[in-house]
Amino acid sequence: MIAALLGRPRRRLRTWWQARHPRTDTWTLTQRNIYIVPTHAGFVFAAVLMVMLLAAINYQLSLGYVLTFLLAGAGFVSMHLTHNTLRGLTLHLKPPAAGFAGFAGQALALEIVLSSPARLQHGVGLGFDDAPDRDHDVFVDVPAGGQASAHLAFVPPHRGLHGVPTLRAETRYPFGLFRAWTVWRPAAQVLAWPAPEQPVAPLPASPAAAGEAAQRKASDSGEFEGVRAYRRGDALKQVVWKKAARTGELVSRDTSSALQQQLWLDWQLTQLPGTEPRLSRMAAWVLAAEAAGVAHGLRLPGIEIAPGSGPSQQRRSLDALALWS
Amino acid sequence: MSAAPWLPRWPGWSHLPRDSRDVLFLLAVIGWTLAPHFAHLPAWCPVLTIVVIVWRARLAVANAALPRRWPLIGLLVLAMGLTWWSHRTLLGKDAGITMLVVLMVLKTLELRARRDALVVFFLGFFIVLTNFLYSQSLLVAAAMLVSVWGLLTALVLAHMPVGRPPLARAGAVAAKAALLGAPIMLVLFLLFPRMAPLWAVPQEQLAKSGLSGSLRLGGVAELAVDDSIALRVRFEGGQRPPPDALYWRGPVLSRFDGREWHRPEPGALAAVQRSARLDVSGPALGYEMTLEPSRLPMLPLLEATPSREGDAPQPDSNLRPFLRADGQWATERAITERLRFTARAYLAHRRGPFEDDVSLRDYTDLPAGYNPRTLAWAAALQRRPELADATPQRYVQAVLAHIRSGFTYTLTPGVYGDDEGRHAVDEFWLDRREGFCEHFSAAFVVVMRALDVPARIVTGYQGADALPQDGWTIVRNSHAHAWAEVWIAGQGWQRVDPTAAVAPERIRLSQSLRPRPGLVAGTLNAINPALMSELRLAWEGINNRWNQWVLHYSRNEQMDLLQRLGWQAPDWTDLAYLLIALLSSGAVAGAAWAWWDRHHRSPWERLRARVARRLATLGLDVSPHEGPLALAGQVRRRFGEQGEDLAARLERLDAMRYGRGALQRPPRGWWSAFDRAASALGSR
Repeated sequence: MIAALLGRPRRRLRTWWQARHPRTDTWTLTQRNIYIVPTHAGFVFAAVLMVMLLAAINYQLSLGYVLTFLLAGAGFVSMHLTHNTLRGLTLHLKPPAAGFAGFAGQALALEIVLSSPARLQHGVGLGFDDAPDRDHDVFVDVPAGGQASAHLAFVPPHRGLHGVPTLRAETRYPFGLFRAWTVWRPAAQVLAWPAPEQPVAPLPASPAAAGEAAQRKASDSGEFEGVRAYRRGDALKQVVWKKAARTGELVSRDTSSALQQQLWLDWQLTQLPGTEPRLSRMAAWVLAAEAAGVAHGLRLPGIEIAPGSGPSQQRRSLDALALWS
Repeated sequence: MSAAPWLPRWPGWSHLPRDSRDVLFLLAVIGWTLAPHFAHLPAWCPVLTIVVIVWRARLAVANAALPRRWPLIGLLVLAMGLTWWSHRTLLGKDAGITMLVVLMVLKTLELRARRDALVVFFLGFFIVLTNFLYSQSLLVAAAMLVSVWGLLTALVLAHMPVGRPPLARAGAVAAKAALLGAPIMLVLFLLFPRMAPLWAVPQEQLAKSGLSGSLRLGGVAELAVDDSIALRVRFEGGQRPPPDALYWRGPVLSRFDGREWHRPEPGALAAVQRSARLDVSGPALGYEMTLEPSRLPMLPLLEATPSREGDAPQPDSNLRPFLRADGQWATERAITERLRFTARAYLAHRRGPFEDDVSLRDYTDLPAGYNPRTLAWAAALQRRPELADATPQRYVQAVLAHIRSGFTYTLTPGVYGDDEGRHAVDEFWLDRREGFCEHFSAAFVVVMRALDVPARIVTGYQGADALPQDGWTIVRNSHAHAWAEVWIAGQGWQRVDPTAAVAPERIRLSQSLRPRPGLVAGTLNAINPALMSELRLAWEGINNRWNQWVLHYSRNEQMDLLQRLGWQAPDWTDLAYLLIALLSSGAVAGAAWAWWDRHHRSPWERLRARVARRLATLGLDVSPHEGPLALAGQVRRRFGEQGEDLAARLERLDAMRYGRGALQRPPRGWWSAFDRAASALGSR
């Protein structure tokens, strides 16, 4: 019951938080979305100032007052300078040429472009909001009226569509007494393909696995399937020289039927327990087939991708593997 | 090739790795900050400081690893041992500063993480403050301003993690922060309520300058070379009394142990408290005094300043000055700050008791076994026929006549007394006969007491600089003086200045004891004495303003400020209210600016909103996260070939905003062209 009572404010807080931070790929930092608090060093600085003020009072040091108030003024100004470092910056998540996609478990570089309209900004750190520490923050200086790029490595934990995790841009410049930061939820989504199995299992043994090919083999009277009379223009290596030697007439392998000798990467052939290992194996097969230049098709329960080859075929297959459920 | 094997090759400032450069810069700042302390630290400490800083600089240039933890702890323990050895304590001001310097220096050997750097900065600011304990002069202030700037610059550098930012840029940022903070500093300095010390500050063992609470022949000679300013006075109506009336009364010394003169016991004073009246007559002489910190619990006021309401000084803070029975103005604690107050003196005055009193016997006491020849000389004087049954006045005249007859006034009389410091008066009075004010006054008092006339030494200042500065009359420590008082029945204590008998110009022309000039000053003085004294006066004028406006700024000045701002009877709560009001109006202004800024969008954002609205009129569904590129895609999908022009414009916009050489604000004319293209598309 308490949980139920607590649940509503928490949900409302969450809604409010998300409304404050809409998902967007371009995030301009204003008064509204920059937060600032003193750092530990800031609190220590305040304590040092108090001690200095006490010393100035007790020893009646006019210059002690001057020094303490000078530092207090500079510290206060540094709060504004820290805030100003972020204010006016625009963060833009630049889509990679190949789109936001990569293998699960492998780092995907996210390029963030920071642009500063007016001032040179120093020491802006970028990192993931849920990172346990700030050791992996990437620091950049943004030139006045120019841009700077920061690359963050995002490792999708498993296959599927992932929202880009919440990012944090932070700075302590100039004195480290205050920490200003913003929280940014990019709209882009990263598609994570299944991690390819390592080591790669051998490709499915034979095209015979495909039903049609088996049928044709049976009807072709034990002959090498897909052979036809030589036509001008056939490549020499297409010629079946053995048969030519035996029969005295040139025959060529039938290229149209060679196309049909596709490799079907079938869910049924993976012979592994569990969905993810099977998908991983299939992803590895897709890569292996593509590397070998063999046309390949994909069969998943409920999905079939016609055989083909080339980057777009690979992409289609991997996407299907990533999204299959 | 290096000159020495331990000296790493200097790669040149611009080839130095960034970290090494930053460390060298920080070391320079630390060295600069610590240098003023070298004069008053035990000798081993500056040596350790220089060795460690040079060692650390060598490590930085060679890019070598820092020492491990254990050698550092060893060094720290050694330094603590040395501190104990030098100061016999680890607490207190001097030992504390020694430890602070040691910690600061050793910390440089441990600069690894940013946290270590911050410790150095905070220690650095504190060390800057400790420099002010020794001097708050203009020069020290300027040097420490450089230190603060350097420390802030190093702090900025530590927060520039990228590349190799130029030192000048970090320095500019530090200066900017300090300059922007200056108004805050000014408001706080002017209005933060000044208060008395919250708890007792450990007193100095020795008087820093000026007068001390005791006198031993030779003691004032050290004062004579101290030409620093003891106090400044401004007389009401600009009426400056003649120099021979300017006696600033300090500690009265009446107890003589044969070697040294001391102040009377408090108990002895309490006994005469009632009879020790001060009768004043004639016109009052109002004056305003600025007193430098003397570190003695007394005010050297003009003779004679009574304790009546309106005459008595009322400095702020918890000094609670009071008039002692011996006529000296004492305070509850030593004066550690510059004081400013007004008081009124009466040149015509009489000091009681006027009737004979048993307590006066203390003033004829002489220790047995000291100065026998002087006592014999006094007895012989008493036996002279013309002085039979003489009054004390006659004795005084006779002794002064004796002084005039064969004594010499000199600042370098040499050491008096035997190996144990005894019989100094004998040697002065009967043998060498040369000395300065304290010799004359001490010998005079001894002779008077030998003649059974109550007498005592009064120390203080006599005279002032001939020329005032900005209306202020200056009294220097070189004006320190000692004179005598004898008690005469019916008239009370009468001032007798035996020095005036031998060196009347010392009193009449109010010449201070001239210090021996330094080499440069001496040369300049020899070439052009007028220029020298002008330079001196100009410099002291600047110093005086610095003292008045900065160092002396205290509760009184705060109240004056409030009165000028229109308060009738301000007190410290008004100060606090004004301060709070100013600070909160600053905060409100900041909030208003933030509110304005919140609703202020960059030109790019405004353009983006216009584009989104325009596209919405064409029937496109624009979501907030879509950039120009995504919008171009939408236009293409929706309008195909016809939308090509519009889509291309959007793509160009994207390139201008995010591409290489991006623009600061949208180019002129882009919007109107886009708007026309959109209209053309809409009308189709």
